[in-house]
Amino acid sequence: MKERNDRSVSFGAYLPEADDGTIICRCEEITKGEIRRAVHDGMFTLTEIRRYLRTGMGLCQGQTCGALVKRIVAKELGVSQAELEPATSRAPMRPIEMRILGNERREA
Amino acid sequence: MTRYDLIVVGAGPAGLSAAIEAAKRGLKVIVFDENAKPGGQLFKQIHKFFGSKEHKAKIRGFKIGEELLREASTYGVKVELNAIVIGLYLDKEVTVKQGEEIRHYKGDTVIVATGASENMITFEGWTLPGVIGAGAAQTMMNLHHIKPGKKILMLGTGNVGLVVSYQLLQAGCEVVALVDASSKVGGYGVHAAKVARCGVPFYLSHTIIRAEGEEGVTGVTIGEVDSRWNIIPGTEKTFEADTICLAVGLSPMSQLLKMAGCHMVDTPGGVVPESSEKGATSIPGIFVAGDVSGIEEASSAMIEGRIAGIAAAEYLGFIPREEMKDHLAQLEVALLSLREGMFAPENRGKIIEKTEEGIDISMNLLKMGYLEEEEVERFPGVLNTKGIHPVIECTQNIPCNPCQDACSRKCIKIGSKITALPSIDESKDCSGCGLCVASCSGQAIFLVNEEQEAGYATVTLPYEFLPLPSKGDKGIALDRSGKEVCKASVLEVKSSKAFDHTNLLTMRVPLSMAMKARFFVRQEVC
Amino acid sequence: MSNHADVIVIGGGIIGNATAYYLAKKGCSVLVLEKSKHMGDGGSSRNGGGVRQSGRDKRELPLAIYGVKNLWPNLSNELGMDVEYYQEGNLRLGKTDAHIKILEGLTQRARESGLDVNMITGAQAKEICPYLSDEVIGASWCPTDGHANPMLATLAYYRKARQLGVRFITDEEVIEIRKIKGKAKQVVTKNNLYEGDTIILAAGYDSRKIAATVGVDVLMTQALLEVLVTEAQPPMFYQMLGTAAADFYGHQSTHGSFVFGGSSGYEGVNKDNSTPVTNSLTASCICRGIMKYFPCLEEAKIVRSWAGWIDDCVDHIPVISKVEEVPGLILACGFSGHGFGISPTVGMLLSQMAMGEETTLDVKDFRYDRFKAKI
Repeated sequence: MKERNDRSVSFGAYLPEADDGTIICRCEEITKGEIRRAVHDGMFTLTEIRRYLRTGMGLCQGQTCGALVKRIVAKELGVSQAELEPATSRAPMRPIEMRILGNERREA
Repeated sequence: MTRYDLIVVGAGPAGLSAAIEAAKRGLKVIVFDENAKPGGQLFKQIHKFFGSKEHKAKIRGFKIGEELLREASTYGVKVELNAIVIGLYLDKEVTVKQGEEIRHYKGDTVIVATGASENMITFEGWTLPGVIGAGAAQTMMNLHHIKPGKKILMLGTGNVGLVVSYQLLQAGCEVVALVDASSKVGGYGVHAAKVARCGVPFYLSHTIIRAEGEEGVTGVTIGEVDSRWNIIPGTEKTFEADTICLAVGLSPMSQLLKMAGCHMVDTPGGVVPESSEKGATSIPGIFVAGDVSGIEEASSAMIEGRIAGIAAAEYLGFIPREEMKDHLAQLEVALLSLREGMFAPENRGKIIEKTEEGIDISMNLLKMGYLEEEEVERFPGVLNTKGIHPVIECTQNIPCNPCQDACSRKCIKIGSKITALPSIDESKDCSGCGLCVASCSGQAIFLVNEEQEAGYATVTLPYEFLPLPSKGDKGIALDRSGKEVCKASVLEVKSSKAFDHTNLLTMRVPLSMAMKARFFVRQEVC
Repeated sequence: MSNHADVIVIGGGIIGNATAYYLAKKGCSVLVLEKSKHMGDGGSSRNGGGVRQSGRDKRELPLAIYGVKNLWPNLSNELGMDVEYYQEGNLRLGKTDAHIKILEGLTQRARESGLDVNMITGAQAKEICPYLSDEVIGASWCPTDGHANPMLATLAYYRKARQLGVRFITDEEVIEIRKIKGKAKQVVTKNNLYEGDTIILAAGYDSRKIAATVGVDVLMTQALLEVLVTEAQPPMFYQMLGTAAADFYGHQSTHGSFVFGGSSGYEGVNKDNSTPVTNSLTASCICRGIMKYFPCLEEAKIVRSWAGWIDDCVDHIPVISKVEEVPGLILACGFSGHGFGISPTVGMLLSQMAMGEETTLDVKDFRYDRFKAKI
């Protein structure tokens, strides 16, 4: 199925599920229910979910929860996981103190 | 700016192999790794690897790591540790956190070999302390010498789950169960068998319902799943446990490539860069090797690394194209042979029910982790010959052949197809040297002698636990399922450099137990 | 589904989304076309979140003042979602006499336009924000300024507009606007053709090439700015921050992280690889800028940095304008890196312009044909 780019598409009401309380993104403590609700609020891409809820924006930058979030969003949208573009990768690849990031040496 | 012919990110098996091949051909190479020790996951791999000689088969992972480091230093590769690559920018610029500063480097070529990270799955209580990745457990015990827990439940019966379970037992932990939602064991049967015969129960078609405990894990409740992955009511079982290990797959750590702008593909196995058979990505001069380009294992990562290293050398004109082609052709063959057998790409996701020879695979092995006695005899490695002889309980097509090379008398035959099941040549005499037993990375070879003494048999088995029993010790023999079957006494424990820490324990059991007894447990003398 | 709407908005950034919302509230049918797969994927998700009046061009100031007074305070409530608006003032900091001169000039011009903004001493600045470096010798202080979360504000407008029936199509790059019988009417995308009675072009720098399809040019260039974010810190201060030397700007968010924007000085000549990419020099440069003013943040870890192109008009204020020679077309672009704070006002004004109503504020300063050669 194609990624949903017409945002007016309706795919039914949000129905609570028993495990909605399960934490999916540990760094930012976002639950499955919050992610499902975000989809119903119109957040159809992993990038939008990330900006809306902060999933994958914490210390691990989504390495742990990325696949979990994707599965939930795909299911909620009724599309295959492959149709969802993974969120972008950003420098720095690991969290780094300002003191160090600001301390460059051009010649090594 | 400091510029290298080749910058390698990641000093694991793929990265080091790449660096070595490139440096060998005259490239100025630097390798960055964020860890304090090089080798990636190799240094926690205390088990022997599958494969053939060229794949460094039957050598333990950490020794392969040592070998690679020696080779890298011979060729002048600079390995920078505690060096975190924080970005891969336009024009192949790499910024690295080293000590208290950021340094900028440029590479005329860059090979990204950043490996993979462990997947997680969620269930009630999955965020409790005590729920850890199997790889993390392996790091704790094999690198830091800390037991991850006392009583451990392992989720996942792929090779990682099986190998780490065995290592947990070696470290002295109790593994209360191996659980997998799949209906069949995912990893090699031989890895399952060595865990099963220690008495660890397998629960296939089961999954974790919840981790018990308030402040940390105190137990685990599992349940059986139906064909639609729903828990069947009434099948719940609770185990006492302080640790839950998750071995539910790996995901490539490919963020650096995505940041660099490489075309990425989203596969069921994770997000990976588009890459050619040489490891070339969509950005000229940026190559990949190892798990970051798709999850496999260390042996193939090393070959992919070598390929990328040679390709980088050719890209920069250090070797002619023809020379590269020759090398790559050979390496391709080596790589393809590793990709044969039950884990061959075309077999991915399939349940294999017959061997390439047409023999029915043991369903018991796939469901319970061990072979039933009556199943063993249909395999070509099991022949009831006179005197001492090997019994090879290798029943799936694995790309591995050290047993064939180990036997100086040529009793064991695999032939040119590396995945073929080993068979016994009856016309050759076994000397009982035991080299085959020690060489089998799957610990699937036993020496049996049913004619040593009237009414008794001797069984020689690979033994990798401490404390080592000694001659004269009395104990209990366990069968393949880990069930106690009879009394046994130790006749001999052989250790030799050639065995590489696989000790050969010979026990005496009643004759009727010759094809049953496969493990020994010493009974404490009061 | 019909490909016709009363108004077609090209661009799903905060300007487009806010406009769609205000139009939908007036009962108008609206279609928003966004080139990216994601809503708000341009400058709207790559900015420092300032809701400032101080430091603005005097032509833009009325828009900022109107928003701060009338729209921002109630926005979370109105949109049904917290946009993390804080009205805790703006400190523009100086460390040298030259800095103070710049700040005094800005302050004086703003005061002349009726904004409550003052010069304060270093000590007074430290009273407002005790975390400042002792090297700060003075600042301009505008107590009614603030900040909000640009990503959430953009998505909040989107969410509410969607609830009101606005149709949004993502991954729909506009190729051309076509005139039918002398009036801008059709919007051609890679895959489709849409028709609207009014077309609002709010597509950032891309507006330039789209406007060119009906023979209109907006004199702007693009510059690549970066934003970086720290891991969450304990609550410290909620003023919006900037400096006389424009080293950085930013604030602490509700989440606890600090969000800072800035550049390396090379923003006008940076390149990209078809998506905006961070430059290897910029994040480090921004960090040094921050630490000069906030040494207490030196151990804060940066978890992420990202870049975005801004559409910089030649005179650094936007074009918000009907194009009489192309009836039906309204331009809303060239926000020059400070469109976020005025976006609610601009959205409201554009909705009025599209409906043919009298605008609450005069928009003549933002005409598309205001540019004149230097001699």
